[in-house]
Amino acid sequence: MDERYSRQVLFPGIGKDGQAKIGEKHVLIIGAGALGSGNAEVLTRAGVGRITIIDRDYVEASNLQRQQLYTEEDVAEKLPKAAAAEKRLRAINSDVEIRAIIGDANPELLEELVTGVDVMIDATDNFETRMAMNDVSQKYKVPWIYGACVGSFGMSFSIIPGKTPCLNCLLRSIPLQGMTCDTGGIISPAVQMVIAHQTAEALKMLAEDWEAVRTSFVSFDLWRNQYTSLKMSKAKFAGCLSCGEERTYPYLDQENMMKTTVLCGRDTVQIRPSSAGEISLERLAGQLSSLGYTVKGNPYLVSVEMGPERMVIFQDGRALIHGTKDLTQAKSIYQRILG
Amino acid sequence: MNKVLFFAHLRDAVGEEYLKVDASGKTVAELKADLAAQYDLPRMDTVMTAINEEFASNDEVIRDGDEIAFIPPVSGG
Repeated sequence: MDERYSRQVLFPGIGKDGQAKIGEKHVLIIGAGALGSGNAEVLTRAGVGRITIIDRDYVEASNLQRQQLYTEEDVAEKLPKAAAAEKRLRAINSDVEIRAIIGDANPELLEELVTGVDVMIDATDNFETRMAMNDVSQKYKVPWIYGACVGSFGMSFSIIPGKTPCLNCLLRSIPLQGMTCDTGGIISPAVQMVIAHQTAEALKMLAEDWEAVRTSFVSFDLWRNQYTSLKMSKAKFAGCLSCGEERTYPYLDQENMMKTTVLCGRDTVQIRPSSAGEISLERLAGQLSSLGYTVKGNPYLVSVEMGPERMVIFQDGRALIHGTKDLTQAKSIYQRILG
Repeated sequence: MNKVLFFAHLRDAVGEEYLKVDASGKTVAELKADLAAQYDLPRMDTVMTAINEEFASNDEVIRDGDEIAFIPPVSGG
């Protein structure tokens, strides 16, 4: 053990004490895509005591360009990402207790999984799960580290209950039609830069060097050479329903969640987004067809072929996913395109 | 005058890294509405705003010389 972590122990910010603390901690990683793979690998190598990782998808060829835990063999076997990640992480460091969960990180499951967790890492691809994580973080007083990227652009922010503003303070509602990697593309270095920010923050928290935790919101564009760091001291919103005085944890409430229903006898799932609002169908259709999807549309809806499935999106954000009866798969397809 | 910077897909939509506009006296929400109409920008209500590198809410009033940045939250991961 001493030899294995010697270079990290030599680093003054961690030291022997810090390493011992890291070895006793439990990290929950939500998502095992690009950010999830990278975060999990760094933290597994760093010798975190326990890592729980959850994901609902399986490995596809388009993941290999940036999702560092996966191989062509995983694609051929259509392995669930959580299962493929578990295998690889165990091979990297057998000291770490790895638990992989194949499933949808809904609020109910998150509330169950957060017990005994020291830090949660955001590696999701949608704001609904992030807002649920944010509420779970506030309710159970567990910090989480927001991270997201698209194209060459990325951002990260550390959220510590009782100390920093929370994600709901910043956004106040779930952004509809956020850019995703399936609509805006993504280059691997943007992923790695977000992972670097998230894992550095995680190591500070796990080693309990709270003074070192970054309080600013960082965003960058690696292609356009921009790097900004926003001061967040004024960002805490007193009326915030997630972290304010009169908190209700709205995103743990089933009522405010995305609704998925199987339409009987039609091999179709209907999805209603959690926040109502208009999306720009014209923009969406343009984006999707420029990405090479087969898109049809009229002023009321956009229809897009996505392999064996076809998704029809209406202006209010509602969608029908034809060709599946699987709710989790349908939600995954929807969030890949609409965030 | 105010320098207004755009990030991620907002920059693509505007076609410039930054614009010079006179926004003094306007709230952040008003400036967002003006720009959204002028450049046909995607939904601006959840776009994060910084004034002089500090997070600003939608009702904050912009002063002459303030540098504004619009940073859209992205969801990829």
